[in-house]
Amino acid sequence: MTALMHNRRALIGLGVLAGFALLAMFGPLFAADPSAQLALPLSPPSWQHPFGTTGQGQDVLAQTLAGARTSLVIGFTVGLAQVAIGALVGTTAGYLGGWVDDVGTLVINIFLIMPGLPLMVIIAAYLPTGSITIALVLIVTGWAWSARVIRAQTLSLRDKDFVLAATVSGEHGLRIVACELIPNMASLLASAFIGATIYAIGAEVALEFLGLGDVSHVTWGTNLYWASNDSALLTGAWWTFVPTGACVALVGFALAMLNSAIDELGNPRLRAERGYLAELRRHGVRPGVSTPVLRREVS
Amino acid sequence: MLPRAVVIAWVVAAGGCAPRSQAEPGVLLVEEKEQTASFIRNFNPLLEVGDVRWPATHAMYEPLFIYNALSGDYVPWLATGSAWSDDHRRLRVDLRPGVRWSDGARFTARDVVFTFELLSRFDALDLRGVWAFVSGVTAVDDHTVEIAFSRVFLPGYYYLAQQPIVPEHVWKDVADPVTWANPHPVATGPFTEITAFETQAYQVDRNPYYWQLPERPQVRAIRFLAFPSNDQAAFALVSGEVDWAGSFVPAIDRIFAARDREHHHYWFPPVDGGVLLYANTTRAPYDDVRVRKALSMAIDRALVVKVGMYDYTRPADATGLNDAHARFRDDAAVAAGDWVQHDVTRANALLDEAGLLRGPGGVRRLRDGSRWQVAINVPTGFSDWVRATQVIARGLREVGIDARMKAHDFNAWYEQVQEGEFALALGWAEPYPTPYGYYRAMMSTATVKPVGVAAPENWHRFGLARADELLGALEQTADPATEHRLTAELQRLFVASAPAIPLFPGPLWGAYNSTRFTGFPDADDPYAPLSPNLSPQALLVLTRLVPREPPP
Amino acid sequence: MRYLIRRLAFYLVAAWASVTLAFVIPRLMPGDPEATMFARFHGKLDPEAMAALRRTFGFSDAPLAQQYVCYLGHVVRGDLGVSVSYFPARVGDVIATGMVWTLFLAGLAVALSYALGTLLGIAAAWRRGGWLDAVGPPLFVLLGAFPFFWLAMLLLFLFGFTLGWSPVRHAYDSGVTPALSAQFLWSVATHAVLPAATIVVATVGGWMLDMRNTMMTVLGEDYVTLAHAKGLSPRRVMFRYAARNALLPSITSFGMALGFVLSGSLLTEIVFSYPGQGYLLIQAVRSLDYPLIQGLFLTITLAVLGANFLVDILYVWLDPRARTRSAS
Repeated sequence: MTALMHNRRALIGLGVLAGFALLAMFGPLFAADPSAQLALPLSPPSWQHPFGTTGQGQDVLAQTLAGARTSLVIGFTVGLAQVAIGALVGTTAGYLGGWVDDVGTLVINIFLIMPGLPLMVIIAAYLPTGSITIALVLIVTGWAWSARVIRAQTLSLRDKDFVLAATVSGEHGLRIVACELIPNMASLLASAFIGATIYAIGAEVALEFLGLGDVSHVTWGTNLYWASNDSALLTGAWWTFVPTGACVALVGFALAMLNSAIDELGNPRLRAERGYLAELRRHGVRPGVSTPVLRREVS
Repeated sequence: MLPRAVVIAWVVAAGGCAPRSQAEPGVLLVEEKEQTASFIRNFNPLLEVGDVRWPATHAMYEPLFIYNALSGDYVPWLATGSAWSDDHRRLRVDLRPGVRWSDGARFTARDVVFTFELLSRFDALDLRGVWAFVSGVTAVDDHTVEIAFSRVFLPGYYYLAQQPIVPEHVWKDVADPVTWANPHPVATGPFTEITAFETQAYQVDRNPYYWQLPERPQVRAIRFLAFPSNDQAAFALVSGEVDWAGSFVPAIDRIFAARDREHHHYWFPPVDGGVLLYANTTRAPYDDVRVRKALSMAIDRALVVKVGMYDYTRPADATGLNDAHARFRDDAAVAAGDWVQHDVTRANALLDEAGLLRGPGGVRRLRDGSRWQVAINVPTGFSDWVRATQVIARGLREVGIDARMKAHDFNAWYEQVQEGEFALALGWAEPYPTPYGYYRAMMSTATVKPVGVAAPENWHRFGLARADELLGALEQTADPATEHRLTAELQRLFVASAPAIPLFPGPLWGAYNSTRFTGFPDADDPYAPLSPNLSPQALLVLTRLVPREPPP
Repeated sequence: MRYLIRRLAFYLVAAWASVTLAFVIPRLMPGDPEATMFARFHGKLDPEAMAALRRTFGFSDAPLAQQYVCYLGHVVRGDLGVSVSYFPARVGDVIATGMVWTLFLAGLAVALSYALGTLLGIAAAWRRGGWLDAVGPPLFVLLGAFPFFWLAMLLLFLFGFTLGWSPVRHAYDSGVTPALSAQFLWSVATHAVLPAATIVVATVGGWMLDMRNTMMTVLGEDYVTLAHAKGLSPRRVMFRYAARNALLPSITSFGMALGFVLSGSLLTEIVFSYPGQGYLLIQAVRSLDYPLIQGLFLTITLAVLGANFLVDILYVWLDPRARTRSAS
């Protein structure tokens, strides 16, 4: 964790995320009612409405803030749920092996190979619209990604000495998974969680843009749905879709930065590479083509 | 407000460097309401509810008469005239001589008889339900048809008149007309020859045997582009790619008309079916007429129309009639219907009088003492309705009703309103040729279904015996004066009992660009509705247009 | 060969699973899709006409197992039923109108993005710590974080609506007849630029990062050090030794990426009014055309499965180890 704090990318990512979390939590308290019709529809940005108004005369700033709240909550919830299911399936399959692993892998691979959007659409189209449906759909279609990496990690940890030792000492399988395997996958789980959250936020926005969400709720996805529905392009109302898109991208970017920082911490070679480069540069040497295989601590 | 100027500049710039009508001279580019990414070759005119290409019912197959919603007249088309028997149980129709099908064959009474018999054999094709009141159709001679009625039902004339007629010599060999795509149509209409058909565009050229030639049509061909979204369609209109358009365009005056006042015109007469707030009269307190009137008074219809409909229509009067029925409108009824005026004070007074007093927090209590909470159901996809409902809910909250909009999936909403499982809901009224159909849907006991049973109309479940009498009399009258008197009485009944709460009449979308063609109808020359979305009225327009440059 | 047969078996199981899923989902869900489907004919149809239509659509009250067998039979024969929104056209015919364009757009975009991203990745690994390595990844990560369709909206707004540089809809000009002519091909190319660019911009970063990181790993292998030691030119080592081997793992993710890009391409098509499956999908959703939704799901899924199998064949062909591994 301290290492994370010293990583520039991690700091950028965390900073942006913290900013959005604060805005999502407290922003709506100060902004106008996001669904009230306050001014002329499609008024451009002004002092009164810094981001302009929508095709229904609602304040875009207020909508963006309120949208942040729902979209982030859905995103993180789905991310967490995906990793939880992924961990359950992945560790079970990886630890038990045999036919359980065969079936588990088959199911995981089938879910992985099915194209996401059509699967989401076919499920969402039959369920009543709403945030819960969206979250459910995203969990069902996305859990396999985490399950795959967690299973692979479980396989490689299963034969490690400390797990074997625990097995020999007669510990219960569940306990081994919970106390030996999971804690040793912390960075992998964190990375899977972030990946799942990025996916969830993006897919949520896409589904709601298609009109599969509850369009009377204010979320980032419905904001874009309404922008397109109220002819934002035709009327030149760029302000109705630019802020939301930028927010989605910023959050995604921050999460990706954090993820790459975690990856780097978990991957000795990438980390060594960075230190090695820094040292070379300190000595005024241009980096060559080879990578150090042995990691040398550069302080 | 500098930015507004910027917006206009952007949009002007958008069209400024963009298109270019790609059509040859004399080829009319039509944008009708159907939005699709790819055209499927289907020209079956008897399947109007399916995915049938526009020309099938608007330019190829013609009816006996065309009902002009604006004038209220029937324009003789394949028929030249008609006469009722004295007991109104038989209708004799004289057919136009000299009409030919587009393959050169003669059009005769046999074709009319065959068409109606086809509807009777395949009930999925009888969209207007004519066989519910018709008992037989026979050819008296080559140019005369007689239609026998199973009961006296004068409103049925409309459905018979507008039925597209198909050729017997082609259709008699079709095994299943319900799923037949009719890829090579043979018809009597002005445009029948499909000269190009791709998934993104198609073109239909003039019928060489058209009965109005050589005077009409002047247009050489009609051409269609696939517009998958409203935005795309509107952009094509704004940038001059299409000549005649019928889809909703936001802020049309600013983004379309203002760009070229000489050639860009639109006309949205409010003559389509109305939009109403339905209150379920089987539930308290909505069974109380005072409550329904108070709800109505709490609504600021001007704001509803402005925010929901871009001011394209007008607030409804208390009769709920649209402008197509203006000649029936009874001034006394309109004057009595003061409950459509926004009046918070009177709304409050009426609710107090009904015993629904405000409790702590300013929210009224129902008679059982609970807080008056109510959801207004709307279907999610209908953005104009959603906007309107938000204004309505705010109005209701001002008079102490805790009203919230609840957007449902279309099917959920449709199920709720049909089965009567709702308290308040926005809904449509079907457009009918005369107020008869409208008031039948609003207050005939024949249309009331028990809660839980799907009702195609009368979702609010309201019926009056007096209305039944008046409607029954209307079904049997052919005398205009009597018809007017009965209709006026129905209006007064509606205004007195407020079965549903009219919000605004629906506008018919129509816009044109007269750079390449002239002769479009508009408010100054309202010979037909401008909207291309009306079949068969579009025939009236298609045969009147004149290209500016003579075709080569 | 054994390896390929095993993969084929997997794809068959996956295909069966998706076909079954398409059957089960509508029947598991609450509500009455049948009533919903017909709701769009509101008011235009009499109840009797509605009943007749229903028969046309083949709704039956048969037991589930019997329905399932009947359904499987239909799917195997390629009969996906009748579309509601395009009634009376068959779902297969409706889908056929757009399939070519979707495959063209998604295929083109994936190929471009893969080629470009891989080259950028090699370049970044080649000059580690250079400006490309420093600016590229975060920039492309940022671009990749934008929703596909939002980028599409922005590009369309700027280049199509505002500047008028690019066509705003369709796969080719409506005035051009499809033929193997220069005019038609040019028209197709100009119409594909913006949609393809959207997908490339959003996905190129992933390929670049992948390639860069794999390159890093490969560059540490003994044979690369040996190649250097032999005194081969750095360029030769980079392309013939390192990049070639780094490409292999990324080929396996190519198949997965296809599914992902296809999803993105559907959204992009909607914005650009590109006549592919994307708009069909949204139209099917909005008009609750369940047969069409199912048909699209099935065809897209099967297309992705097929593409993955092709990638597997390619992989075996490229990597001798895959052949020997399966032999053992």
